[in-house]
Amino acid sequence: MNPIHERLQQISRRHFFKSTGLAAGRIALAGMMLPELAQAAAKIKPGLRSHPALPGLPHFAPKAKRLIYLFMNGGPSQMDLLDYKPSLSKIYDTDLPESIRNGQRLTTMTSGQTRFPIAPSKYNFKQYGKSGAWFSELLPHTAKVADDIAVIRSVHTEAINHDPAVTFIQTGNQIPGKPSLGSWLSYGLGSECDNLPAFVVMTPSWTAKRDAQALYQRLWEAGFLPTKHAGVSLRSKGDSVLYLNNPPGVSPDGRRDMLDALAKINAAEYQRIGDPEINTRIAQYEMAFRMQTSVPDLTSIKNESKATLDLYGPEVVIPGTFAHSALMARRLAERGVRCIELFHREWDHHGDLQRDLPLQCRDVDQACYGLITDLKNRGMLDETLVVWGGEFGRTVYCQGALSRESYGRDHHPRCFTMWMAGGGIKGGTVYGETDDFSYNIVKDPVHIRDLNATILHCLGINHSQLTYKFQGLDQRLTGVEEANPVQGILV
Amino acid sequence: MVLMGALPQPGWAAPAKVDFNRDIRLLLSDNCLACHGPDSGKRKAGLRLDLKEGALAKLKSDNFAIVPGHPEKSSLVERILTTNEEDHMPPAKSGKKLTPAQIDLLRRWVAQGAEWKPHWSFIKPERPPAPAVKLKTWPGNPVDSFILARLEKEGLKPSNQADKTTLIRRVTFDLTGLPPTPAEVDAFLADPSPEAYNRVVTRLLKSPRYGEHEARYWLDVARYGDTHGLHLDNERSMWPYRDWVVSAFNRNLPFDQFTTEQLAGDLLPEATREQQIASGFNRCNVSTSEGGAIDEEFYVRYGVDRTETMATAWLGLTVGCAVCHDHKYDPISQREFYQLFAFFNSMTDAAMDGNALLPAPVLKLPSDEQQKKIRQLDEAIPGVEKRIAAELARIDYHEPDPRPAATNPPQDFVWVEDAFPEGSTLEPVGAATQWVEGDRVFSGKRALIRSDAGLAQDVFSGAAQPLTPGKQDKLFVHVYLEPTNPPKTIMLQLHTSGGWTHRANWGDENAIGWGEKGTPSKLLMGQLPKSGVWVRLEVDAAKFEFSDGTKVDGMAFTQFGGTVRWDKAGIQSGGGQFDPASESLLAWEQQEARRDKSTAPKEVREAVKQKSADRKPEQVKLIRNYYLEHIYEPKRLIFAPLQKEIADLRAQRSILEQSFTATLVSHEMDKPRGAFILKRGQYDQHGDAVIRGVPSVLPALKTGATTNRLDLARWLVSPEHPLTARVSINRFWQQFFGTGLVKTAGDFGATGEWPSHPELLDWLATEFLQSGWDVRHMIRLMVTSATYRQSSAVTPALVRRDPQNRLLARGPRFRLDAEMIRDNALFVSGLLVEKQGGHSVKPYQPPGIWEAVGYTTSNTAKFEQDHGEALYRRSLYTFWKRTAAPPFLTTFDAPSREKYCTRRERTDTPLQALVTMNDPQYVEAARQLGTRMIGHDIDAGRRLDFGFRVVTARMPSRFEKAVLSEALNKYLARYRKDADAAAKLLSVGESPVSEKLNKPELAAYTMMGSLLLNLDETLNKN
Repeated sequence: MNPIHERLQQISRRHFFKSTGLAAGRIALAGMMLPELAQAAAKIKPGLRSHPALPGLPHFAPKAKRLIYLFMNGGPSQMDLLDYKPSLSKIYDTDLPESIRNGQRLTTMTSGQTRFPIAPSKYNFKQYGKSGAWFSELLPHTAKVADDIAVIRSVHTEAINHDPAVTFIQTGNQIPGKPSLGSWLSYGLGSECDNLPAFVVMTPSWTAKRDAQALYQRLWEAGFLPTKHAGVSLRSKGDSVLYLNNPPGVSPDGRRDMLDALAKINAAEYQRIGDPEINTRIAQYEMAFRMQTSVPDLTSIKNESKATLDLYGPEVVIPGTFAHSALMARRLAERGVRCIELFHREWDHHGDLQRDLPLQCRDVDQACYGLITDLKNRGMLDETLVVWGGEFGRTVYCQGALSRESYGRDHHPRCFTMWMAGGGIKGGTVYGETDDFSYNIVKDPVHIRDLNATILHCLGINHSQLTYKFQGLDQRLTGVEEANPVQGILV
Repeated sequence: MVLMGALPQPGWAAPAKVDFNRDIRLLLSDNCLACHGPDSGKRKAGLRLDLKEGALAKLKSDNFAIVPGHPEKSSLVERILTTNEEDHMPPAKSGKKLTPAQIDLLRRWVAQGAEWKPHWSFIKPERPPAPAVKLKTWPGNPVDSFILARLEKEGLKPSNQADKTTLIRRVTFDLTGLPPTPAEVDAFLADPSPEAYNRVVTRLLKSPRYGEHEARYWLDVARYGDTHGLHLDNERSMWPYRDWVVSAFNRNLPFDQFTTEQLAGDLLPEATREQQIASGFNRCNVSTSEGGAIDEEFYVRYGVDRTETMATAWLGLTVGCAVCHDHKYDPISQREFYQLFAFFNSMTDAAMDGNALLPAPVLKLPSDEQQKKIRQLDEAIPGVEKRIAAELARIDYHEPDPRPAATNPPQDFVWVEDAFPEGSTLEPVGAATQWVEGDRVFSGKRALIRSDAGLAQDVFSGAAQPLTPGKQDKLFVHVYLEPTNPPKTIMLQLHTSGGWTHRANWGDENAIGWGEKGTPSKLLMGQLPKSGVWVRLEVDAAKFEFSDGTKVDGMAFTQFGGTVRWDKAGIQSGGGQFDPASESLLAWEQQEARRDKSTAPKEVREAVKQKSADRKPEQVKLIRNYYLEHIYEPKRLIFAPLQKEIADLRAQRSILEQSFTATLVSHEMDKPRGAFILKRGQYDQHGDAVIRGVPSVLPALKTGATTNRLDLARWLVSPEHPLTARVSINRFWQQFFGTGLVKTAGDFGATGEWPSHPELLDWLATEFLQSGWDVRHMIRLMVTSATYRQSSAVTPALVRRDPQNRLLARGPRFRLDAEMIRDNALFVSGLLVEKQGGHSVKPYQPPGIWEAVGYTTSNTAKFEQDHGEALYRRSLYTFWKRTAAPPFLTTFDAPSREKYCTRRERTDTPLQALVTMNDPQYVEAARQLGTRMIGHDIDAGRRLDFGFRVVTARMPSRFEKAVLSEALNKYLARYRKDADAAAKLLSVGESPVSEKLNKPELAAYTMMGSLLLNLDETLNKN
């Protein structure tokens, strides 16, 4: 049989018009000039999601459809924010007992110190909500949603420096090269929208004017997964998505004309060559065009009510701030983006914590409250998982000069505090316990592998079965060691 | 997970006879070996299925897993068939499930006698004869016989040869990374000789572009980058290594030498400069200098990375699996991993790279010009030294009569009053230095004033006339603390030749962290002085424990917080500030002998410490000359300028030397670091010590007195080695055909894929070896094969039958790699600047990409774009920041280069479309392509033909021409109506816009250029 005829039979025009969702007028011309264009392009299914979930996924009914991850890069101080240790005040400036330190390795920044004096938090704490969770005065707004969140005070990791630690929590391995959490979600669960990427990343500004620890694109890259699963940066300056805007002097109509001509020539090429990849390319150019209108629609907040904006605080109207990015996160969530991650920097307070931590908290506190409340008001919190935290905690002992009012803290991987809220999470929970020094975990430890397993679980994924074969191994986000979802915080 | 691997792909003929290596091994690896494999720690039921002895042995339960020929007696078969959940294999919780086809295969394999073979890739390849084929006229060389034999077995026919324009574009991209010019296409079309194609291939293989193109693939494997890759991610200088790779391909360096020089160039006898540069391969790993990081941990990480990279690149083995435990699928124990690791853990580079451009060991690479200048400087310096010697010889020194000891009453020598001492350098910390006049001045006309919330100070040093504090003297300064805003602490600090090591502290002793409390580095002077009045602060010089003759040449007036005025500072001294050593050699000798620290050279110090009676004559002379040249005040006017002259020459030399190009190289420690099995891979959990060695499943290593990287490299390329040739040739195959004969290019182990054409792979491997590792010869074989020359047009039936084109019933067709897409745009637009090598360049990049991630003090936190020709170099030369790689390359699947990469993914995304449509680089290239089209002819039709031909190598069809013309007319109409839009479009890019051209017309052709650059045909090799 003539292969061309065979191909013609595969496709019907009716099917094409139904499935492409392209403006009929655009296609009409092409259709008249080249009937087969329509037929060739019909194999593509724009209008549907850009890529589907893997077969068999989700593994079970998910509680959350998507993830919003609020990452505090640098390591927020747990005992100044959420892990209340009232008894420390009485032992101010005494040495951390050796029985507590217990040979724990230190970074080389403080391993040379002759003393490890206790630095109690200078901040006041109060209990909030039905759960009676303790919140520092630096988080007055987050405290208001105490009953929506689960505070986990017993997260721990092995990495003790920023680069390995942040790479570990975001990619499951301290060494660069593995896919990020968001890219795993894109790979496993697919995309739910046809005009935005499945995984979007923002890097909002911060207030404390200190040197800020670095980020690395590997935190949202796809590692050995296909690069289409990599996080796409939504930027506050320049093109909101890289290269999104037409060059100056090229109007949307001008771009449309080019795409139409391109599609015709490409479709003719498909006729000659028969490579299905040609159709994929035609479809991707169409999706690029759709993104050119969907992204500006996304970033315009002119239709947000004052009441909504007020939830996030005054900075919500300033692009690039954490508050504005949090609002963008909600707007992305509404549009079906699978994973949205905000990387807020400068939480690494080795000295002058009292100067910088309040500024950092002011950046994020109300916006976190605003995001949770906004999602709840729209009935979206139940289907959106929100995670807040950094790559490790900080030491109870002081780094550098100590006074009641002024102190610094070194990195502390043995325990730190994160919170989760939304789909799958039992609000108003306080999980895990640390000793009186917030130095060791005494109850319900949660390794960051368990944390990642929990995130996947909420999204309907059995972490041990979301795998990708690379270099001989069924690779997983949670690696080869055991990991378990934290049942105690799950609904 | 979809299981492809060993199983025949859908549509492939199912063979009747089960082959262990092809059909069974991967099946066992994927489903069984995690619990029944080489890892003795995790083995269940005593069953080991990767070895015949293990699989046939009696189990703990007295059953047999496998009884050859008797599936009904084999518990393996029973357990995979059973419906009993508890007994069923693989267990449900493993998440593994066998398909009915797989179960059938296992059953048939047992029934057919459960034949075992060693893993295919560990057996040395034997050269197979080219198989017999029916279509005898088709094969051009032995490669084709293997391909055709398989096709005939599958009942498929090869495709026709691609037309000549498609072919020359394909092969030109494949061998140079760039397209052919229309003239090159014409010449090929005009050459009817059967040798025409071979001649093209020869020309391309000789082109310097060939090395640039081939290098790019290898640099992915080598994880080459221009930054350290971790934490600060500062710049590092590795580019001479990149240029070495280019040159190695252009010199057609045999692959065995290519291997040896990179892994062990530094260890070769009398290693050349080039060989040492090549050893930079081992230094390409990411490195850190993060504050707080632990050295030992990173020594281990670097060693593991180097081991894994070597193993993946040459062995095609995933040895990284054995870092924490025995490999679960391949016969590589954890011990054997650390034996390999032991080759790489004893290089002299430090764990912390210091965030330096050139962390040692490095090789300096001065140009001829620079070497000449260095020689000139080296000759000039002795000239000045001679003049100094002559002056010294002329001095007739006599010891002067001692001056009477000072007995004057102590008096103030004022040093700071309305100004800092002459010759000193001021370096304030906090706000700029501020002097105030008015009523609150202690003396003179003005006083210093400073307010700050934290640490701040006025600091000066380097005073021409330093103070020489005697034991009875006092240092003083006057302060006035603002009562409404008192500081926490104030501090007086003194600068001597030993630096800032003398401090006196008033007030909170913890506010300023410097110095050790209660010592001269931080004298505790008690409370803050009273505020609201001027107070004279005095410190006894004795408390500072100065050694005799110490000179104070600077002070710092330091405060923490508050507002402080400072005025009139100096020394109260009874002895005047005369230093007897300035006139008396004897006095100086006495001072010098008592001094703990000194700036005098070691041999002078030693001589001075001798009793004068014991000094040798040359020591006496040494002391005299040193004293007269450097200390003796009456002759300073003579020697100071000479010393300055010499210092200037040395400074020039040092600056010049620092400007030398240099590159990171490997260097082996004299005595290796110990290597141990690391329990669970933890750097601080030492198990048994291990010595260097190779996995026992592979040929033995020839060891010598010192077994080192050189032995390892030679072992890799020894003729007995089963892997190196196969793994390497497979990567070249992958480059031309899109997929390797072994698809998993970095994994030839049990979990890797069975080769699509095992005999061909072995034939190529043996040919590679026999040719003397001649890379060019092998590439020629591949690209001149009839297989390669086939048309890539495909029918739906064939797409269904062989979607990935593994059987090669058609020619290769796939999207160009990231670099080729950009280089093509630069080339066809005429912008490409073909300059080879050198420091990496920073072409256009959207703002904010480095800034979004960079540590604020990193030297790659701010992107500064280059200009001029740097914008138009081949992408190979683009600066590669590893934590934020060039977006226009990574969008097209270029790796971050943080880790080795043997195979790039090939995706198709909307973001790619946005790059080629909107990235200023592509818009500028489109404008220049449009300019070329206009310049080519006056006729629009011929212009379009030309443009189309430049990007695709062929003429457009009538249909294509009609579409193009229609688009052109629309754009002409649009830009003629809107000249403003035209001007805006033409403003993109830094290359000049031809003033002669009509702007709306050029804008329209710019859009046509853009259209052509975005054609699917342009973006693909066809």
